[in-house]
Amino acid sequence: MGSSARKKKEKKKDFQVGKTKAKPVNFTDTNFRAKSIVLTQQSLSANAPTLAAQCAHHLSLLNHKSDTQRRESLAYLTTAITTTPPGAPLPQPASVILPAVQRLILDGSNGVRTQLLKLLQALPEAEIAAHSDQLVLHARAGMTHLASEIRTFSLDVLEWLLRVAGDEVVSGPGGWVKMLHCFLGLLGWQQQQKQEPRSGLEIGKWSATKAFGKPGSEAKVQVRQMQALTAFLKTGLCVPVKKAEELRTKDQYAASFFPLWQTENHLLPQRSYAFAHLNLFGTARDEEAEMYEDREDRQRVFRERAEKAVTAGMEQAVKAGGELGRAGAMLRRVLREGMADFGGEMAA
Amino acid sequence: MVKRKVGALEKVEADLASLQYRCRRDPSSYQEDFQNQWNQYETYRELFLTNPTTTDDSGVVSLRELIDFVAHCADCFPTITAQFPDQLIQLLTLHHEELDMELRDKIVGSLVLLRNKDVIDSSTLLNTLFPILVTTSSKSLRQLLFSKILSDLRASNTKGTNHRLNRTIQTVLYNLLTSDRESPKGIWAVKITRELWKRQIWTDAKAVEIMKEASLSENEKVIVGGVRFFLGGDKEREEAAEDSSDGESDIDMAKLRHQAGINKKSKKKGRELKKAAATVKKKERKKNAPHPLNFSALHLLHDPQGFAETLFSKHCQNSKSKLPLESKLQVLNLVSRLVGLHKLTVIALYSYFLKFLTPRQASVTSFLACLAQATHNLVPPDVLEPLVQKIANEFVSEAAASEVAAAGLNAIREICARQPLAMNDTLLQDLVMYRKSKDKGVVMAARGLLSLYREVGADLLKKRDRGKDAAIGITTGTIKERRFGEEDAGDLQGLELLAQWKEEERRKKREAMGLPAELGTDEEEEDEAEDWKNWDVESDSSDDSEGWINVESDGEDINISDSEDEKPRPAKKTKLDTAEGDAEKENKSKSEEPDSAAAAKSIPKLLTTTIMTPADLAKLRELQAAQQLKSNMPSAKRRAALANAHYDDAITAESIEAPALLGKKKTKEEKIAMAKGDREEHHQSTTAKRKEKKAAEGKSTTNKEKARKKNFLMTLGKAKGKQKRSLVDVRRTLKGHIDRQKRGGKRGNAGR
Repeated sequence: MGSSARKKKEKKKDFQVGKTKAKPVNFTDTNFRAKSIVLTQQSLSANAPTLAAQCAHHLSLLNHKSDTQRRESLAYLTTAITTTPPGAPLPQPASVILPAVQRLILDGSNGVRTQLLKLLQALPEAEIAAHSDQLVLHARAGMTHLASEIRTFSLDVLEWLLRVAGDEVVSGPGGWVKMLHCFLGLLGWQQQQKQEPRSGLEIGKWSATKAFGKPGSEAKVQVRQMQALTAFLKTGLCVPVKKAEELRTKDQYAASFFPLWQTENHLLPQRSYAFAHLNLFGTARDEEAEMYEDREDRQRVFRERAEKAVTAGMEQAVKAGGELGRAGAMLRRVLREGMADFGGEMAA
Repeated sequence: MVKRKVGALEKVEADLASLQYRCRRDPSSYQEDFQNQWNQYETYRELFLTNPTTTDDSGVVSLRELIDFVAHCADCFPTITAQFPDQLIQLLTLHHEELDMELRDKIVGSLVLLRNKDVIDSSTLLNTLFPILVTTSSKSLRQLLFSKILSDLRASNTKGTNHRLNRTIQTVLYNLLTSDRESPKGIWAVKITRELWKRQIWTDAKAVEIMKEASLSENEKVIVGGVRFFLGGDKEREEAAEDSSDGESDIDMAKLRHQAGINKKSKKKGRELKKAAATVKKKERKKNAPHPLNFSALHLLHDPQGFAETLFSKHCQNSKSKLPLESKLQVLNLVSRLVGLHKLTVIALYSYFLKFLTPRQASVTSFLACLAQATHNLVPPDVLEPLVQKIANEFVSEAAASEVAAAGLNAIREICARQPLAMNDTLLQDLVMYRKSKDKGVVMAARGLLSLYREVGADLLKKRDRGKDAAIGITTGTIKERRFGEEDAGDLQGLELLAQWKEEERRKKREAMGLPAELGTDEEEEDEAEDWKNWDVESDSSDDSEGWINVESDGEDINISDSEDEKPRPAKKTKLDTAEGDAEKENKSKSEEPDSAAAAKSIPKLLTTTIMTPADLAKLRELQAAQQLKSNMPSAKRRAALANAHYDDAITAESIEAPALLGKKKTKEEKIAMAKGDREEHHQSTTAKRKEKKAAEGKSTTNKEKARKKNFLMTLGKAKGKQKRSLVDVRRTLKGHIDRQKRGGKRGNAGR
């Protein structure tokens, strides 16, 4: 019916008789004639839209309703980024790409998500740190998502993020405590922390990790989660090797400037928004949303809020043995390493 | 752009709706799942707060769904969601201007839901919603908020009046009006108050006070809102009450029961039937319940004199007020209504009218109506006299159009009915002469004036115009000139009839008992006690069942009469002669000379010493009706009409214009329409009407009717067996045929 209506309309147009509608009194004729028209900014390139414009177009297509289209746009962006020669600026700056792309962490389609991870990994690592707080929020939203696939996927994103901008992630506002809570919820260790006596009897788990799939795959998922937690705790609690070296060299550096101490503290800060921890412009933060920039702070909060639950869960995992046990052992090692110096202080 | 339908959650296997269902069924088991969703909500909220203006579909949609989910489960997990209401309130108050529309509506809805689940209290909700209602620029949000606020106020007042909440909200509204008198925001206070007044939720003086402040504001919309409330709010309330009482009242229980017997029985049907029965019962109870005593807004005003004065000086007299004529007229209407109703004295008001009383003034009849309305018997006549004079000069002349003259005469009549002293004899005699005019409207108006003055001030008329009653009255001295400020003593019409009737009854009874027709005071008192016994109209059986009443029996009955003796009952026979000699004497005189003067004396006694029972009042009404039948003279009618006129009722421009319409020639169409009236056009036979009525009542048809209406395909089978009938059957059929032919058809004409 629709097409016939259209045909009718077209036919009517063909046979239209009479005059055009009279122009209103205040109508201004803007037609003009010219021998030639010269545009001041005319591109000389033959392939009409520039790469930048095409990238912008594809960025806008990320909202498209078809997941194939979204995936293809992501793929286009990825190739565009990877093909830019090192040193040359990206077709679109990362500050434009990242906000447009990060929502797709929560995308329902699997293909889109995997492609998204590729794109993220293709981005220059130095630019991520400035956008880490938004990315962490999205990753956390993914980790609490109803769908288990998205939950698992966001662990990938988190691991990538920890690799690229680990320090910013753990010291960002809410990045430590909320993330820990998130992990506890994900692993199902929260319940155990609260209600010890409920040992093996699990009542009415609905969408928790354990409800899905075969026990084998479930264990796999849990291994992934524990690995991610290990990476997270390692970043938050342990002194990075690089940094330790840096400290040593710093001491030597300071010794070389002997009478001047702590020069770097009086220089201009090297990162943007250096006073973020003062929270001058935002709403007041509670303990959970607070920034824990210091390693010791993080250790303290970890001890207060999560260590018990993590240890209990870890012990169970180690007992389970196999893949899970290995992951548990890794976690235990990281925990010991991270909390080694802190435990001594507490005792003292 | 067409809105894209996004469902981040659509594509995955889990959905919030079923989780919500499970959470509500078994909160403790699903606490962990809820905690996860709560975490998700928190992250989404944080994401959203970083950029509240976002139009990113999926994020907003997820947040909306999560808010909905959490709101529905909030009462199951009070510890986890302790922060939730505050977060919503904050989100709404800070970002209501830029929020996505659906999300905004969802937040409002969730807050209301939380209120309904008693997670937050009404005052929190209203204190959140009201400031947004006042400030927001979005029309749809305003509409939503307004309806939500109203429904919440109604809901919290259903079980009993929530005085505390009402008081807080009333204070908020009052402060809104008084804080900034020029802002148009006050209109919301007016709207809310009016709506709640209409629904009889707010019926107290505080609500009236709010409207008073509204009418004293500076903004035109607010003023008109307030004034309209005073002029029409009570009528609206009455109408609403009527509507609610007779709306959807037609539940036919008999029909429902019948249907329940026929149709398949199910639990649902049973429940419906029960529900209907409950509704009917409730309605019945409501019908029998005493009518709630509601004072009108005008009567609840705290300081009517001050209000009227400020209203008048602020909006009418003040040359700076920029109200258009229409609004000004409404204000004037209110002022004059107040003056007339409360008999206030606002002297400046009358001189203010002076400049508007010309026929060329726009909507002058409204001004005339206002003037009449503002007149009462305590207005000094010398203030009114120039006004009456001016109306007479400007409107009532041979040169003026007949409608104008009629309107002027009618206005004068209305004024003088309220204050007869405003007229002097020369002017009156002049005006009365117009009854010889050619125009019917003018004639009627002038006659109205004449008949008015025959009652209230016949001595101003010429002798031949006074009429029989008034002339006799003046010569005998019964009609006296009323002075300014003179008031009638309180009187109840027909009271003397009641007294007479009671006296007669008493005498009859005493004669029946064999006692002397005279009676003592104590016995009179006893009678009163007996009156109390048959309190209700139904129990008033003294006429036909005298034998049943035992006069001596109840010593401990209620005794509310004002007599002084407090002695025990047994001693009453001994003090027949001593205690109240006066009263006795009076009684004697009354019985001896049935004179009008004595009757007049006894009326105040009856008024002051007894409390009328409903039975008494019913009898009084009956006697009055009988009396009216007796005196069906036109003069009596006129007097009754005058007595029945309530001078504190409103007068409209239409009532001033009414006599002018009498003289108007109607067109043919109008005449035909009038003659037809509201009779129905469609003709229907009586049988058809009866049948329709029967069908509407849900009654079944007769067997004959059923047979006639039966589908003929069903009858075919029977017709086939025609050949196999027995001889008896054939004979019966043939006889029937002959009989039908004689009768003239199957149903025949029985009357023939």
